[in-house]
Amino acid sequence: MKNSIEVIWKEGFLNERSLVAPKINDLYNQKSKDLVDKMERMYRINMIALAIMAIGFPIMYCFLDFIWEGVATSILLLLTLGYSIRQKRSAKTLDHGATSFDYLKSFDRSLHDALSRGEKILRFSYPLYFLIAMSTIWSAWNKGILASKMHQKFPDLVYIRNVPLFVLIIVGLATVLMFYFSDRIYRWDVRLMYGRVFDKLKETIAEMENLKRG
Amino acid sequence: MSNDFYQVSILPFAGIIIKICRAYTDSQEDFEDYYQEVCLQIWRSRDNFREQCLWSTWVYRVSLNVCLTLLKKRKSNGQTYFTSDVLPDVRITENRAFEDESLNQLYVAIRQLSEIDRALILLYLEEKSYQEIADILGTNAGNIGVRVNRIKERLKKILDEKFN
Repeated sequence: MKNSIEVIWKEGFLNERSLVAPKINDLYNQKSKDLVDKMERMYRINMIALAIMAIGFPIMYCFLDFIWEGVATSILLLLTLGYSIRQKRSAKTLDHGATSFDYLKSFDRSLHDALSRGEKILRFSYPLYFLIAMSTIWSAWNKGILASKMHQKFPDLVYIRNVPLFVLIIVGLATVLMFYFSDRIYRWDVRLMYGRVFDKLKETIAEMENLKRG
Repeated sequence: MSNDFYQVSILPFAGIIIKICRAYTDSQEDFEDYYQEVCLQIWRSRDNFREQCLWSTWVYRVSLNVCLTLLKKRKSNGQTYFTSDVLPDVRITENRAFEDESLNQLYVAIRQLSEIDRALILLYLEEKSYQEIADILGTNAGNIGVRVNRIKERLKKILDEKFN
């Protein structure tokens, strides 16, 4: 090596004509792609989890001798999975050739549409999941010695098929409440899973709007 | 980011950004990504600039921080750069970002250093004082000289091996 690194650096940049700044364009292309990819990856994991649960629950319930509850849970999960697949297909119709800003905006819009459609469907699903869970507990109750013990201890209570009436009323009320608050439960559920990505999406869109304004 | 901001506050310092980004990337595509990200971060952090230092120092600081962060992110995503002692020859010959061949080789050698050593030597080559280097990197100026000498020796060794 003839020259010191200082000389190479100095002379190199002195004669350098290729210090041309790259064009600043499609600034958010990679960012928006990463964000949407992340969301889609999470969605895919969610669907795989649903499929595994739809298969696993009936098997597990079968071992516990609660076949019908298992089948009902599986059907509900499969319906949710089917709905999720439809949602994913509709997301594919987004224009990938649009600018990053338009793409993210339309992605955000489609997410909000999907969420509001999901709210309508989950309005029925959550109470049904709850009722299935209750039904499982009742089945276990009836099979065990607890029911007879309850009869002995509280003979004055009104029972319907071995279940105290007040318990049925509480469960009924809880189901109604669940139906009423299902949209909030759904939003909480979604937030728990995708909250950070949603925030990031919102933040990126806001930043891009800011960037446009200059 | 308005065109004015880019023209006035970034473009005159594009040389700094290019020099730093080149040291942390080994492909044109990555280089352009890094450059854009640095520009974006300079624009984002413009309100944090308190005029306690020169704007060029601020640009150095943001550029280095962005490059270090992006490098870390890529590493955690499994995309690693060549930091080993042996750099494949194909990379060396392919990556001719500059017209000056010695400068290209120097960059190839710099890319073999650790992330922090790269930052240090870039600032040294840009004729920043040890105090300025310490201010930009947030370290103690006392150790900079010793470290720079060690890095220079290492670079010289790499370049000697290459040229001989």
